[in-house]
Amino acid sequence: MALSVAKAISAKGKGFKPRITVFHCVSALTDASVLDSSGCDIQVVKMPCGIATREVFLLRALESGADAVVALVCPEGQCRHLQGNIRAAKRVARMKKLVDEIGLDGRRLNLFNISRGDAQAAERAIKQTASDVASLGPNPAA
Amino acid sequence: MIVAEQKPIAEIKDIVAPYSRLLVLGCGTCVKTCFAGGEDEVATMASALRLAFKKDGKSIKVEELTVERQCEDEFIQQAAPCVARNHAVLSLACGVGVQMVASRFTRIPVLPGVNTTFMGQLEKPGLFVERCLGCGDCILDDFAGICPMSRCSKKLLNGPCGGSQNGKCEVSPDIDCAWQTIIERFKAFGQMDRLTRYYPPRNWSRSYAGGPRKLVREDHMV
Repeated sequence: MALSVAKAISAKGKGFKPRITVFHCVSALTDASVLDSSGCDIQVVKMPCGIATREVFLLRALESGADAVVALVCPEGQCRHLQGNIRAAKRVARMKKLVDEIGLDGRRLNLFNISRGDAQAAERAIKQTASDVASLGPNPAA
Repeated sequence: MIVAEQKPIAEIKDIVAPYSRLLVLGCGTCVKTCFAGGEDEVATMASALRLAFKKDGKSIKVEELTVERQCEDEFIQQAAPCVARNHAVLSLACGVGVQMVASRFTRIPVLPGVNTTFMGQLEKPGLFVERCLGCGDCILDDFAGICPMSRCSKKLLNGPCGGSQNGKCEVSPDIDCAWQTIIERFKAFGQMDRLTRYYPPRNWSRSYAGGPRKLVREDHMV
């Protein structure tokens, strides 16, 4: 996966280091430092629960210069606040549609369900997003 | 409450395109409850517009404000300084709010950001249903508290039509048959005899068909 990201990044222009804002539930990702090895510029926003993934936060992150925004929440059925992850998924889906309509490409927004302590899954999520963003190029509205 | 839904972002973008300074004005009452124009929706709309225009290489300054109610002048007055700083107002209130703001601030275009849809209730989270047409002559007492004007697809006053199946309207299985509900409620009250009454055609002059309506309360005029 890392290799394909590197290829895609070089295809879009050398020196493009995707900036990714990660909103994560503290239960889904306990240690965000595992994302440091992704090779991307990662901005981390810790949330008490996926429910705190507000729509405007996703857009404000893009406005602030993020090339992509990722929400990492617990798998369905494992939210300790019952439905925080489900609501987060619906909000991200709605904003993906809006971002598509704006013309920025909804692939810049993603949500992944991460089991508590599964750092590898979190890394994979970031690498997949970096791969998508690398093919899209920098955020034109940044 | 008045139920509204946001216009598509492409339509809003077209509407606001001529202006380089825009106030997105929300309303903290009905449209907030139906997620069309409260504080959160104002913030999201402002952000979306900034992103959309910046992506196209155009510069637009978008300011955000939400007042308690756009249909009352005393709340709109609070928006005056913000309105003065901008070239247009994108109102996320219902049609009443848009017109109220437009009548208050006569030198600035006030643009609609939502489509006002109906007067309704929140049936369950995320589902809003129409419950009143504002016909001007309420007859809910004769129909067990169920309005056949707003809830029967055919607006039958002398129902049921006979087309419903399993309590659902023949027009759409998503619609509960209003007359089935009326009958069930009258059964529960032990007042089935009320269904024998014939209802003559209504006088619609008290509804929107009679032209713009006014309500005068002399006792509140000074």
